Amino acid sequence: MATEARDRIAARDRVEQRRRSVEAPSTVRDDSEDEMVVSFPEFVFKEFIAAVAMTAFLILVSVWLQAPLLGQANPGMTPNPSKAPWYFLGLQELLSRFPPLMAGVAFPTFVIVLMILVPFLDRNPSRRPSERKVAIILFALYTAIVVALVIIGTFFRGHEFIWDWGWVLGNPQTCGGSPC
Amino acid sequence: MTVIRAALDEMFAVIGQMVGSVFRHGLPLTDKIAARTALTNFFLHIHPVRVRRSWIRMSYTLCLGGLSFFLFIVLTVTGLFLMFYYVPSTSHAYQDMRDLQFVVTFGGVIRNMHRWAAHAMVITVWLHMARVFLTGSYKKPREFNWGVGTLLLLITLLLSFTGYLLPWDQLSIWAVTVGTNMAKYAPIAGPYTRYLLIGGRVVGDNALLRFYVLHVVGLPLAAFLLMVVHFWRVRKDGFSGGL
Repeated sequence: MATEARDRIAARDRVEQRRRSVEAPSTVRDDSEDEMVVSFPEFVFKEFIAAVAMTAFLILVSVWLQAPLLGQANPGMTPNPSKAPWYFLGLQELLSRFPPLMAGVAFPTFVIVLMILVPFLDRNPSRRPSERKVAIILFALYTAIVVALVIIGTFFRGHEFIWDWGWVLGNPQTCGGSPC
Repeated sequence: MTVIRAALDEMFAVIGQMVGSVFRHGLPLTDKIAARTALTNFFLHIHPVRVRRSWIRMSYTLCLGGLSFFLFIVLTVTGLFLMFYYVPSTSHAYQDMRDLQFVVTFGGVIRNMHRWAAHAMVITVWLHMARVFLTGSYKKPREFNWGVGTLLLLITLLLSFTGYLLPWDQLSIWAVTVGTNMAKYAPIAGPYTRYLLIGGRVVGDNALLRFYVLHVVGLPLAAFLLMVVHFWRVRKDGFSGGL
């Protein structure tokens, strides 16, 4: 922690120094590494290539991969398990483990508020990854938890939302890889 | 002959004036012309005329914000096509989906594109957020724009979720039943929120109409407004550029 604090102070000094060097009129900025270019066509061309690549990818996927369409909605027949869309499966997973008030309301609200407050909570002025170890580790941890919960919810929850190795064992009776 | 030549010259002059009224400058062969083009073109004016190379390095931005915006456009266009055929009522919706898939020319491909682009957008918006976090780009003076981005991520999820109900198949109705049940757990307001959202106690006709209206008008408008603010603030707060 001591090195972390020292790094932070060093980073703050460096930022301050950089700010001063920008403000000082006598200092000539070294632009040899970072030249100015016209955004059109330099930048627009890159965006265009990205857009074309994405379009090609979407068309290929859409021709080969059918979007799911099961039987008509039947309010009288509940499939077991019933699953939320994949990006909410982390939340559903939490609901199966914690009291609903905590998992369904308190937790998501807390995460959203925390996310919006991140720039004000992170007091470290540096943007270099090597000087932001704590922030990056926390974010990696958060991402890992979310991804793990979504994977568990999608592939390892079968009948009654009970843990199921069906996806691994290829048991056809469970919903396996496809959401039910 | 001179009469014909004069008429031809006049015609070319008019055509030249027409083209010139749309494209005010020639081909962007020099930086000066390119800069003028960017300055006077409505669709290009979202960019600054000049940028530092580090701001637009693909290995830094990975183009994730741009791709998210592009996917939003793809979803708007494909969504518009789907709206020509889709009727949001429990007696029509499912049949319309089957027609789209099996009868309408290219209906299946358009529907697939809408679906996969929606999933892709959830992913690109998330990755864009991760990139901004890992490069510390949310730091002063971009704190506010990070907040706007967080709301855009939420709206992306809600757009995807409201769209999930529309095919009116077994996947839709039960996923939305499970999803809206989560709202029920909020203290006091929970049951009312769910009732307001689906217009009843079970997911039926009212829920379908409400989700449809939110999906095609309400949420896209909110997303559009926030995107305009988001892009404007990128310009005003400055690109984060290299590390």
